[in-house]
Amino acid sequence: MLVLAGAVAGAQTVVTVAAGAVGQELELTRAAAERYMKLHPDVTVNVLETPDLSDNRLGLYLQMFEAKSSDVDVFQIDVIWPGDLAEHFVDLYDYGARDVAKEHFPAIIENNTVDGRLIGIPWFTDAGLLYYRTDLLEKYGFSGPPTTWAELTDMAKTIQDGERAAGNPDFWGFVWQGNSYEGLTCDALEWVASYGGGSIVSPDGTITINNDKAIAAIDEAASWVGTISPNGVTSFGEEEARNMWQAGNAAFMRNWPYAYSLGNADDSVIKGKFDVNPLPAGPGGKPAATLGGWQLAVSKYSKNPAAAADVALFLASYDEQKIRAVEGSLNPTIMALYQDPDVLAAVPFFGSLYDVFTNAVARPSTATAPDYAAVSRAFYSAVHSVLTGQATAADAVAEIEADVEDITGFPTGQP
Amino acid sequence: MQDAHEAPTPPAALPLDGEGGGGRGRPKKNGVSRLMRLERRTAYLLLLPTFLVLAVIAAYPFGQVVYSSLTDAKFASSQPTSFVGLDNYRTLFAMTIRRLPPKLDESGAPVLVDGKVRYESAVSVLPRSPRRYRQVFQFGLLGHRYVLGAVSADFVRAVWDTVVFTVVAVALETILGMIIALTLSSEFRGRGAMRAAMLVPWAVITVVSARIWEWMLQPTRAGLFNALGSYLGLSEGRTDFFGNPTLQLPSMIMMDVWKTTPFMALLLLAGLATIPAEYAEAAKVDGAGPLRRFFRITLPLLTPTLAVALIFRTLDSLRVFDIFQVVLGNQRYSMASFAQDMLISRRDMGLSSAASVTIFVIIFVFALLYVRSMKVDT
Repeated sequence: MLVLAGAVAGAQTVVTVAAGAVGQELELTRAAAERYMKLHPDVTVNVLETPDLSDNRLGLYLQMFEAKSSDVDVFQIDVIWPGDLAEHFVDLYDYGARDVAKEHFPAIIENNTVDGRLIGIPWFTDAGLLYYRTDLLEKYGFSGPPTTWAELTDMAKTIQDGERAAGNPDFWGFVWQGNSYEGLTCDALEWVASYGGGSIVSPDGTITINNDKAIAAIDEAASWVGTISPNGVTSFGEEEARNMWQAGNAAFMRNWPYAYSLGNADDSVIKGKFDVNPLPAGPGGKPAATLGGWQLAVSKYSKNPAAAADVALFLASYDEQKIRAVEGSLNPTIMALYQDPDVLAAVPFFGSLYDVFTNAVARPSTATAPDYAAVSRAFYSAVHSVLTGQATAADAVAEIEADVEDITGFPTGQP
Repeated sequence: MQDAHEAPTPPAALPLDGEGGGGRGRPKKNGVSRLMRLERRTAYLLLLPTFLVLAVIAAYPFGQVVYSSLTDAKFASSQPTSFVGLDNYRTLFAMTIRRLPPKLDESGAPVLVDGKVRYESAVSVLPRSPRRYRQVFQFGLLGHRYVLGAVSADFVRAVWDTVVFTVVAVALETILGMIIALTLSSEFRGRGAMRAAMLVPWAVITVVSARIWEWMLQPTRAGLFNALGSYLGLSEGRTDFFGNPTLQLPSMIMMDVWKTTPFMALLLLAGLATIPAEYAEAAKVDGAGPLRRFFRITLPLLTPTLAVALIFRTLDSLRVFDIFQVVLGNQRYSMASFAQDMLISRRDMGLSSAASVTIFVIIFVFALLYVRSMKVDT
């Protein structure tokens, strides 16, 4: 009846949200849209599924922006995009975001602020984590998760050999994201930073990637391919790694927090058999986790920016972030939620690994804006060529240095 | 049967370029009749809307691409763009060959590893300014080692890969398609069902079939090929078809052959159906064996059909995009997926447009070569 009335009056507003579909994201967003529509019967919220890999999603968005299309009102955008895409989004401060912005992590709000305009409201944050099988560590006599990459390599090898001898020839020690895409930039940045090799470009705009520690870190990762990690890891994204891990075929996995609740789902063979920890450190270095995360931005080409902004702020509100944290283990960006008992009961590591999330290493997207995508592409392509044995790490970092010099014109130096 | 007296004409003497004229006669040598002229004018009139539509949907966008290939336009950005002339084309085609000096130790002698000379890395030898050259590949010649460098190494590689992909895939599709067409043109039980079944791969949307193959070629035994390989003891079941550089192109070719052989077979089957069975029967009576009949009668009569099929497939393969994009992403490019990547990850609309224009020119040259060499009537 309500729908009919709306249609007759012509008052039905349609808001389309372009959202991710990794893990349970899509179902969670659809459920949130239902809740919004119940509260606002005059608004229809459509949820549009977008590609899993961040690079492909960017491609889709850019085509819409080039066409100034009003088909999508709310975009789910990566933490590295605000600098590059700011011109296509409205300032959420004009739509009532001033009060809620204070509840979120200041660093993320700052990341999403371009020339004083808040172009995205933080939705969930991310940092790389080490997933490990508690049952297997115990079975092979290890007292706890590895704290260095060398330890991880040893443990992975022992468990892998043991499990294969015990009759699972498809078992591997360590799975991660090795495909040639943005995800590899995240993984490789963690290796390099944990060795003390810096973060490709320093915040003050110096290209620091060409150093011995970075070379050693990339070399070590390349040595995993085919030994403790499957050859095919060089074509893995997040979901490929998770599928192998969740099938019980891997001892360790590097992934984002979303894999936690899926691994503990009732139909998961590893339910209750794993835990998470900060990623290992390189020799003499500190553990590093790459900062990820997604924001909601409202398109400048939207026909109903006010309604769209309202939907975005609703989806990123305290209650909605809480549901996503409890059901999907997606990290809230609202600080108070890290003390919420319901959240901590569902996802205990949110409390204990709070430091990992707040001290994560940012990709150099601010320093290199608006060319971050090109810088990242130069980085992951070169690292990928080392992983597939086509180049040495020393040549690769020299390539990256020269490429980034070309793209940005920054000086080179040591981290 | 009543035309049997025509059958023994030697195939070599058959007027090949007259094949299209099933019903309509060609103009007489000495002038054109009035009726013919009228008919021709009507034909142009009827074609006019088509030309108009073509101008709007083909010529205009193409002109747009050519124009933007001469600018430094940034994709999805309101930044002002400026005219840069042929700069983008220079970026695409700039290449150089440099000799790699051997690595020397302190005493000035070449460094040997396992009895082989080690060379300086290409990065240190290739020019850095005014443009940076990247290694495409290295090769040895007369005892020296050289490196081919290009400003757009990815593009040079993409052109090479696409041409190799096209030549091998189209050759395989033609041979397999011919075998299938010949088989299906003979009389046997269940022929209709076979014809329908054959078309299934062609009917599947390419992106979907690319995904199916991606699953079948998974690098673990969850993938069909690795499961079979390990079951039959041929491999360890860990072959990485899409990550291993030497297996990438063969995998792409296999996917393309699977998908488009039916199309080839279908076209050839249609061509075979137009050849009167009497020719072959008469040749048989004259004592020609099956191979001789195929090469002397069937193949020459099938040439026009074959030419059309080859043109279709070659031009299609040269602009292959979907399977490369779905399966290899940023790992390895076809010409078209390179252009797409320049547009999306570099947001470099000028360079991407220049690459697209280049693809167009390459395809155009191939088409001309075919039309000339196979004497297809235009």
